[in-house]
Amino acid sequence: MPKTKDRLWHLMAAMLAVLSVGLLLFLVAFLLHQSLPAIRAVGLRELLLGTEWRPVIYQDAPQYGLFHMLLSTVYVSVLAVLFALVLGVGCALFLACAVGDRLRALLVPYIDLLAGIPSVVYGFVGLYVVVRTMERLGRAAGESILAGSIVLSVMILPYMISACLHTMVQLRHRFEGVSAALGVSRWYMAAELILPASGKGILVSTALAAGRAMGETMAVMMVMGNAVTRPTLLGKGETISSLIALEMGTAEVGSLHFSALYTAGLVLLVLLLAINIGFSLLRRKLNREGVL
Amino acid sequence: MKNKTRFIRLWATLSFLLVFGTVLFLFLYVFSKGAGAVSWEFLTQSPKGTVLGTEGGILPAIVGSFLYTAIAVLFASVLGMGTALYQVFYCRRRKVSDAISLIMQCMAGVPSIVMGLFGYSLLVLALGWGKCLLAGGITQGIMILPFIEVRAEKAFREVDSDLLAASLAMGVSRSYTIRRIVLPQAVGQLTSAIILGGCYAMGAAAPLIFTGAVILSRVPTNLMQPAMALPYHLYILLTQGTSPANAYGTAFVMMLLVLLSNTIATFITWRKLK
Repeated sequence: MPKTKDRLWHLMAAMLAVLSVGLLLFLVAFLLHQSLPAIRAVGLRELLLGTEWRPVIYQDAPQYGLFHMLLSTVYVSVLAVLFALVLGVGCALFLACAVGDRLRALLVPYIDLLAGIPSVVYGFVGLYVVVRTMERLGRAAGESILAGSIVLSVMILPYMISACLHTMVQLRHRFEGVSAALGVSRWYMAAELILPASGKGILVSTALAAGRAMGETMAVMMVMGNAVTRPTLLGKGETISSLIALEMGTAEVGSLHFSALYTAGLVLLVLLLAINIGFSLLRRKLNREGVL
Repeated sequence: MKNKTRFIRLWATLSFLLVFGTVLFLFLYVFSKGAGAVSWEFLTQSPKGTVLGTEGGILPAIVGSFLYTAIAVLFASVLGMGTALYQVFYCRRRKVSDAISLIMQCMAGVPSIVMGLFGYSLLVLALGWGKCLLAGGITQGIMILPFIEVRAEKAFREVDSDLLAASLAMGVSRSYTIRRIVLPQAVGQLTSAIILGGCYAMGAAAPLIFTGAVILSRVPTNLMQPAMALPYHLYILLTQGTSPANAYGTAFVMMLLVLLSNTIATFITWRKLK
């Protein structure tokens, strides 16, 4: 009797595992299947590099170029990661070196609150604070790539900080005794030992944060103005995810427009899978070398 | 040399203060602006007004959000914990376990809007469910699945291995060991994973846009009906409505839920450490 029960548990766990893993494969396959009509009719090259997005037949033939959206997505994410890098690494260094274990145990969950705040609330506060401030500073319309990247950088900060902190705290424990014995000040240790040694940890956290940034939808959509043009720092822009969120509801099911939106999703997915797989391999390699 | 150290100290301190201040600002801003809008009526009435939502309350969105989250959490914890159990206790080959981890990692990176697309084409269109609570909840469930799986796996791996070995060595069956030793030891971490995962699902609007959320003022009565959710309600108020007061109120309710669930989860983690 216990034998059969045991087998039953084994079987159930295995089935659930297969189901979970199957979901991702299913997701990729489904997206590919739905985007095939657009890829066939328009061509992948035109989809990726075309600069015109006119999905609805108005006077001439509709066009499905995703290039400007791709550019906006990368633009706003890179900028956000840069902002978050400056703030996040500094903040992690402070938390790792300037405070004790007890205070850190209090401050980390406090900063992690940022990860729990809904994306829409970020968009909301971004709209009322960041965009309004830019308008007060003299811009006619505050919705811009810059506003999007500021909001986005705050959203990815907790991921950046916790990944960096993990490396830096380990390094601090390693160097602390030696530094104290040599009479070196705490900040000298931070600047000359911990910061240079955590370079690879910072790299991994950057990749993680970049992935987060590119997939974000609601907040970015609310503060970027959503105009399909070549993105500039203070101009409006529309990301891939905003495009899907805004147009999916009105696209006719089964139409070329519908399929093109799936292609947009697929492109974003492939981009993020590449980042994630690269990041996992990198982390595994660094783990083996013992730097993380 | 001295200058470099000083510069880095300044940079780190300023960054920390700025981050600390940002968190404080976000909560204080929403709480102070939203407090005026929240009242008993706001929490217990349906949206009203010529442009829906400018008057009245957010009851359907609150009920909807809790139902979506419940479905998502149920779906994700059954799948996630099952997968984690398999990975830790049944899977014999290291490579398979590594592959599962990699796939979960990839799944965690799938953007929420792409999840929404997937849920829409599979559940809403292909299976013909239409926009409904179940479709939206499951889409959110897929989104938080890796979140819960990764934490469950960590919790299972941290179970006292001596106790585990002793139990198995005495001929106690694996399933009994899991029920009597593993689950009781991991229950705290599992609970906190579920709370945080639920909080994540509750805040996500993107997967619901095409799978479940509609602008209507009724409280749903069964799972195949569409329902409003808090984050989508806030989004609609901001893009269509002209009522900042109610938008602040909705944001207030969500931030309160975030604060509450995070505090509980942190508390559970701390209690385990002591």
